[in-house]
Amino acid sequence: MPTLLELQTAMQASLVHRDNEAVSAMLAGHITADRLDIYRNTFLFGLTKALRLSFPVTERLVGEEFFEGAAQFFIAEHPPRAAWLDQFGGEFPDFLRAFPQAKSIVYLGDVAELEWAVNSALHAADVAQLDVAALGAVRPEDQGRIWFVAHPSVSLPRLAYPVDAVWRAVLASDDEALGKVDIESGPINLLVERRETGIEVERLDEQSWLFLSKLCAGQPMEAALHTAGDFDCSLALAKHLALGRFCRFELAAPESFDPIGSTAA
Amino acid sequence: MRPPNISGTSLILAKAGIGLRFQHHQAVLDTRPDVAWMEVHTENYMGGGTPLRYLDAIRRETPISLHGVGLSLGSAEGIDPAHLERIRKVAERIEPGLMSEHIAWNVVGGTYLADLLPLPMTEEALEVVCRHVDQTQTHLGRRILVENPSTYIAFGNSIIPEWEFMTAVAARTGCGILCDVNNICVNAHNHGWDASAYIAALPSEAVGEIHLAGHSIKALTDGSTLRIDDHGSRVSEEVWSLYRNAIARCGAVPTLIEWDNDVPPLDVLLQEADHAAGIIASADGARHADAA
Repeated sequence: MPTLLELQTAMQASLVHRDNEAVSAMLAGHITADRLDIYRNTFLFGLTKALRLSFPVTERLVGEEFFEGAAQFFIAEHPPRAAWLDQFGGEFPDFLRAFPQAKSIVYLGDVAELEWAVNSALHAADVAQLDVAALGAVRPEDQGRIWFVAHPSVSLPRLAYPVDAVWRAVLASDDEALGKVDIESGPINLLVERRETGIEVERLDEQSWLFLSKLCAGQPMEAALHTAGDFDCSLALAKHLALGRFCRFELAAPESFDPIGSTAA
Repeated sequence: MRPPNISGTSLILAKAGIGLRFQHHQAVLDTRPDVAWMEVHTENYMGGGTPLRYLDAIRRETPISLHGVGLSLGSAEGIDPAHLERIRKVAERIEPGLMSEHIAWNVVGGTYLADLLPLPMTEEALEVVCRHVDQTQTHLGRRILVENPSTYIAFGNSIIPEWEFMTAVAARTGCGILCDVNNICVNAHNHGWDASAYIAALPSEAVGEIHLAGHSIKALTDGSTLRIDDHGSRVSEEVWSLYRNAIARCGAVPTLIEWDNDVPPLDVLLQEADHAAGIIASADGARHADAA
């Protein structure tokens, strides 16, 4: 008699790897193994649907049939780890980059990575806003030790191809705009976030991107300012605060604080 | 700002309700349909942003029930404490009138299998489920309901009839039963049981909610047919008849119309809810007539 764990492990093999051998032996005599297909189909259909919802532009670029085929391979390699499907699909961009059948669309992995950032922003936790009054009350001599916690919806993908233009054109069903994209124009730095108006995807120049990246990584202000060169940090910081890109701030302890030593280029 | 405790509106009365789908969020806010309560899938509201904002707004006037699919009460390896805590957080924000999960499992070996999978009807499975119901009710600080499953396979080592399994879970843990009448109909066909006898065998005082839904019929390669619980159509006449039976036995119980696939316009769901409400009302009327 199988234990419950043996039975559940056998079902996992059937659903994820199409391997019915162990579980077939556990079925009641009159039950045919083709009934297991019902569970496998629901498993695949449900997860493919989740991927289609998270990667609609990727699907439009490769077509429904190709997407479903790729999804089946992906699901077998990276089934969800938790019962929270908002988090399912994070490995899909890298999977597509390595997927031999997708090699001809060199920028496909980048499109998927942008879509994943958008999806993550959509579902990011609601958090309270940063206390701007408290921030303003920090003494000038202490301001260098301030560090921020980014709003959970903020991400800063750096991509090899200008896929934001591709993404917008496909979402707008604008073939003309899609045709105009120069896919070899070089890497881009993006800011993806959720605001009252919805999900925003913005290109940042190198310095703006570096400055915001350091702040979102929790580097103290002094460190972020030190590497910013001639970039107008005050203006940028004011904008980040006004747009709610941080959800709170902390002060680094003085003894642990080493602004020059802590900078990383 | 924490919303005020408005537990008065979260109480779910023994009337008909509908499943609240994302595609109906705006219509519900715009039209404020006259329906006694609504149910959502807990997992759909574990992230932040727009869905939770809609649910916050809707629940201020409409009592909400939270129905989970991902806790995997039957997992041999234990339930996921992070998932249980996510459930608790949704409940804290939404203050639901009812909370429920399934007699099923879907997590093993660090993988979530994205369906509701059948348990063998064994003492081991019963012990595992009861342990997890206890753990869940303790963590949430409240009673939950557990739903009877729809299944397409049976295991060779099953020895406890499903209705006895359900009864035992309720008796040992003090949880309630979410009696899915459509699932009883589906399983009765798939496994050769008597659906009315199943309903009669459940402890009527433990039935805290009823689900009604549509199902489809699938032909198998060996010529037999299987009922598939796909929640994609109107409630069948056979299920309405079983429902009348259940209400006669249990009295008025909050009744939910479930429709998760090929979801129709809101009006169709409301029509189905009206049909259920009619059955509840005439059962009440009959009982009052008896008492006269």
